[in-house]
Amino acid sequence: MMTNGVVHANIFGIKDWVTPYKIAVLALLHEMSTTKPMALLDRRRLNKLILPLQQGPDLTLEQFLKIVEECCLRMVNAVKHRYASSLNKELFFKKNFILKTPEPLITFSLFLGLFMRQMLLAYNKLSFSQVYKLYKSLQQYCHRVQPELSALPTEDMELTSNEDPSAESDESQGPLSQKQAEYFLARQAYLLKNDENKAMSPAKLQDELNNILKFNPDFAEAHYLSYLNSIRVQDIYISTHSLLHYFDRLILSGGEGKSNGDEGYGRSLRYAVLNLATLHCRFGHYQQADLALQEAIRIAQEANDHVCLQHCLSWLYTLEQMKGSDSVVLTEDSVKIAAHFCLPYLASLGIQSLVQQGAKQGMPANKLLDALRGTDIMHWKQSLSELIEISLAQTTSIWRMYGKSTMARQQAQLLLNMNSLEPVNFSVQQNNTEAFAVALCHLAELHAEQGLYAVVSDIMKHLKQQFPPHTQHAKLWMLCDLKIQFEKAMNDGKYHLAEPHVTAISALNSTEGLYRKAQLLKALNQTTEASQILQQLQQQCEKSKDIEMTIRVMLASAELHWDSSGFATALPLLLQALALSRQHNLQSLTSETLLHLAFTQLMLGIPEQALVLVQDVLESVLAHGSLIDKGRALLLAARCQMALAGAAAQEHRLTALEQAVHTLDEAAVYFSQLDCKERMRDIHYLQARLHHTLGNISQRNKCSMLFRLLDQELPSSGMTVVSHL
Amino acid sequence: MCDARDLDALCLAKSYFDLKEYDRAAYFLRGCRSQKAYFLYMYSRYLSGEKKKDDETVDSLGPLEKGQVRNEALRELRVELSKKHSAGELDGFALYLYGVVLRKLDLLKEAVEIFVAATHALPLHWGSWLELCNLITNIEMLKSLSLPECWVRDFFMAHMFTELQMIKEALQKYQSLMEAGFAKSTYIISQIAVAYHNIRDIDQALYLFNELREQDPFRIENMDTFSNLLYVRSMKPELSYLAHNLVEIDKYRVETCCVIGNYYSLRSQHEKAALYFQRALKLNPRCLGAWTLMGHEYMEMKNTSAAIQAYRHAIEVNKRDYRAWYGLGQTYEILKMPFYSLYYYRKAHQLRPNDSRMLVALGECYEKLSQQVEAKKCYWRAYSVGDVERMALLKLAKLHEQLNEFDDAAQCYIIYIQDIFSCGEQLEHAEVSTALRYLGQYYFKNKLYDEASLCAQRCCDYNDAREEGKALLRQISAVREQGEPSSTDLSVPCVFNPLSNNTTPVRRVSPLDLSSVTP
Repeated sequence: MMTNGVVHANIFGIKDWVTPYKIAVLALLHEMSTTKPMALLDRRRLNKLILPLQQGPDLTLEQFLKIVEECCLRMVNAVKHRYASSLNKELFFKKNFILKTPEPLITFSLFLGLFMRQMLLAYNKLSFSQVYKLYKSLQQYCHRVQPELSALPTEDMELTSNEDPSAESDESQGPLSQKQAEYFLARQAYLLKNDENKAMSPAKLQDELNNILKFNPDFAEAHYLSYLNSIRVQDIYISTHSLLHYFDRLILSGGEGKSNGDEGYGRSLRYAVLNLATLHCRFGHYQQADLALQEAIRIAQEANDHVCLQHCLSWLYTLEQMKGSDSVVLTEDSVKIAAHFCLPYLASLGIQSLVQQGAKQGMPANKLLDALRGTDIMHWKQSLSELIEISLAQTTSIWRMYGKSTMARQQAQLLLNMNSLEPVNFSVQQNNTEAFAVALCHLAELHAEQGLYAVVSDIMKHLKQQFPPHTQHAKLWMLCDLKIQFEKAMNDGKYHLAEPHVTAISALNSTEGLYRKAQLLKALNQTTEASQILQQLQQQCEKSKDIEMTIRVMLASAELHWDSSGFATALPLLLQALALSRQHNLQSLTSETLLHLAFTQLMLGIPEQALVLVQDVLESVLAHGSLIDKGRALLLAARCQMALAGAAAQEHRLTALEQAVHTLDEAAVYFSQLDCKERMRDIHYLQARLHHTLGNISQRNKCSMLFRLLDQELPSSGMTVVSHL
Repeated sequence: MCDARDLDALCLAKSYFDLKEYDRAAYFLRGCRSQKAYFLYMYSRYLSGEKKKDDETVDSLGPLEKGQVRNEALRELRVELSKKHSAGELDGFALYLYGVVLRKLDLLKEAVEIFVAATHALPLHWGSWLELCNLITNIEMLKSLSLPECWVRDFFMAHMFTELQMIKEALQKYQSLMEAGFAKSTYIISQIAVAYHNIRDIDQALYLFNELREQDPFRIENMDTFSNLLYVRSMKPELSYLAHNLVEIDKYRVETCCVIGNYYSLRSQHEKAALYFQRALKLNPRCLGAWTLMGHEYMEMKNTSAAIQAYRHAIEVNKRDYRAWYGLGQTYEILKMPFYSLYYYRKAHQLRPNDSRMLVALGECYEKLSQQVEAKKCYWRAYSVGDVERMALLKLAKLHEQLNEFDDAAQCYIIYIQDIFSCGEQLEHAEVSTALRYLGQYYFKNKLYDEASLCAQRCCDYNDAREEGKALLRQISAVREQGEPSSTDLSVPCVFNPLSNNTTPVRRVSPLDLSSVTP
């Protein structure tokens, strides 16, 4: 029992033993195989029943019979009868019972046959006293539920009669056999990985695990599940404890495991430290994680374990990235070595990480997409479905960053409609990875841009359901949701609604929060505070090399300059932003910058140039931009046209003005879709003026009435139309 | 009257009970009315259940079922006893039994209440006190209980204090008990000895145990603790004598096996030692000390995986076993995983916040991880709580030296030397010479030639530092001949003034103190 000081818990390698419940299942099996004429539907239902019955925890006889009854009424009586007879005769277990079983239904080599043989074997191993015990528990099992089931004289049954009912209830959740426990753990772990909502609630799962561990403290896997479970609820204390306990136990079994002797033992040590590092990473303890990782690397180096070293390296660059420092060199190394040691998974992960960093630093788009496509081919060859998902989500993000909303939408849909390559177990498909969350968030934002808020709220509802607030990726949709609501409130001019969102955004992402705060302050005309914040942001962004944010901050600063009529001073800023955005292929930001430039030119009195710029950029804005951008671009075009018309000769003037009215009409369509009242008011005002000049009195009156209605409705009516894009 | 009527049945049953035929005893007692008979009736039923449970364990249906074997009688006993209890018909013994049943059913809160009631009903029954002691986990809980005013209570409190590692209070209690007339009680002597063992006052504990052996030569209880002490002091002949003696008395006792294990361990026959610890565990699987000791043996045999398992078992038996946590930490440290072992050392430190060994171990780990700030804190704390092995200061000094904090290093060395010399006993500390050498150089650099030459002379007392001491003396005399004045002004004030920041030693020293600590 004890060799090398290690107690082997399982001497015979029997993982299952005979219980009264198991005998009931066997009775059912026997009845099924002997009853020839049976409705096809009944048989199918019963067949489907058997696996959960066999793998699940022990049920009471009452529950068992009820389940069978639901499937096939006729069967119940037969099973009952057979079961009762097993009490009367010598035990149900007769060799001939199994031998008699008709071959075509239950073959020995297959699943059910194995189960039967296992039971038989377990039964044959029992000693006399154990058989007696089994017999007694069988009696109790029957009598507890249905005293009329057996007609046996029961002189010793008074033992159970005076039990208090409170004690009985906790017994219904009986102990699991090792096999049942394994099934339970496998199922819960799978669910945790793939669809957390379908797994047991954390508290209940922990109870179950404690129960298993109470009966069998050597069951190390339960500790691991407890680690996963406590990570779910962000409990650092228990998760560390469980993780270490698991590896302490694993180290024991590692020696005799598949890998030979010392090798297996050292291996689990290395992975133990690596796991500890990931744990600290997950909780954001970067220093601790760093120390643990160094230790893992050192041990792996000593043992010449290249695979483990590779894992360490990929964690190392992840950690560096999380800490916010540059890790390109490390990642490149990791990819090279991983490719050398034929570790496709790690290599691809490295490439994907490189692509992400490259995209942020403005690498040429074709190179990035080429790299992704190259890895994609390999993923499909090797069926690495997880990586395929990540790659699709990444493409979505890249396209969106470049401002190509159609492509982004297409990629996101591709991901969501893809059938996973992973086998589907327990009728649960994996759809709770970060990739899905990212794609869904992008979709939500894209729809919000087009003003389809009903769809957005549907997507958000799905996200909330799929990624409950306490889970790992929940922050993604939280931020996304807040951003959308903030934008909406700003567009509607409801600044008081936007304010709480700013605080919430800052909690999730401080840079984004600052930017939104500056926007809000700007809208509220608190220019001094806004410019302070923008300066602060500018410094931050330069430090972290966040190009997108830098350009946004520049644009916002330029807008501040407009407010103080410093149109000329805004120009250098805008040009700088234009250069940056062109360099990084950020198309949506480029067109936005161009619009800003055009507006500045208009204000500086060169409408011809402005109109040329607007017309250049109009195409891409209409193709990819958000509704508000489209409206703004058209409004700006109309204003340029108006300004030009003012200077033009009399005969051209009327046609130019009509053109401007037409453009304004188009812009009005977009703004009305967004329900953006302030802009609508501006448009009505301009249209009224134009119609007045053109002499369309009725049209003019209509527009001015609309303007008046909106003007009364809206709170402040400072003539913003002048200094606004 | 009841007693008289039941006397025959009781006598019969008692005989059966003594023969361990519990069911039989219970059967003949079933109609009896007296309190005594009722207790024996219930108690034999309880023991019969326990016995059956133990028998079951041997041939349980499957390996996993091992943990599931229960005493089937417990529930019925609980129902009957609770009925009687609510009717107020239970005496002190029956209450005790009721408490035991509750504890076995894991109903700990109720069990505590019942045991308190039992002590009130029958204060002189030590069994209920002991059971209560197992259920109390902290001092707040102890204070919240209302215990009967009785002299036994003092014994209980003293025992409790020992359990909760509040040794000072425990010793006070025992002292007052001895003065109150229990001076000859071997129990008290053994308890005091164990208490001294817990605070690692080895000499006192050894003395008391020797006295105990004289007064009570056939005692087996607590002898494992005694053997631990002998082991720590490497007193081979005494340990072997003790082992021989105990084997003669009773070789199938857990304590005996532990003593023999310790004996073999001291003789470096670790396989045999492990064998005996295993035997102890077979005799009592819940024997905590044996698991830990076995872990130590496996460590000696470099069988780390088995050691880890043994320690884990010990922790399972008692989560508060700091030695097992410490052992796990050591194992991982040996496997060169200092970061991993930090967790275990921290656990051990949590359980014994004032034990310098854990702190030193923590410090060493931090040092290996190049976390010097934390390491310094650990060493300083270890020194502050009373360093047993006197290594903390030395390590602290070396750490300061590495970090080029010369003044701090010198200060630590000075305190270290003072500590070594002032404790009187001439321990073989090779490191004293290191300290002296460093101090000599330090004073020399700071031109305090008198102090430097003093240190150099002291160096010459040690073999390994003799040459350097002489060299330093020569250098000093050379410098003095050149006529450079020794600067006794305040150019190097740091050694004698309070040091900056958190590593400030409480005691301050003047350089002249060194001369007074001449061995």
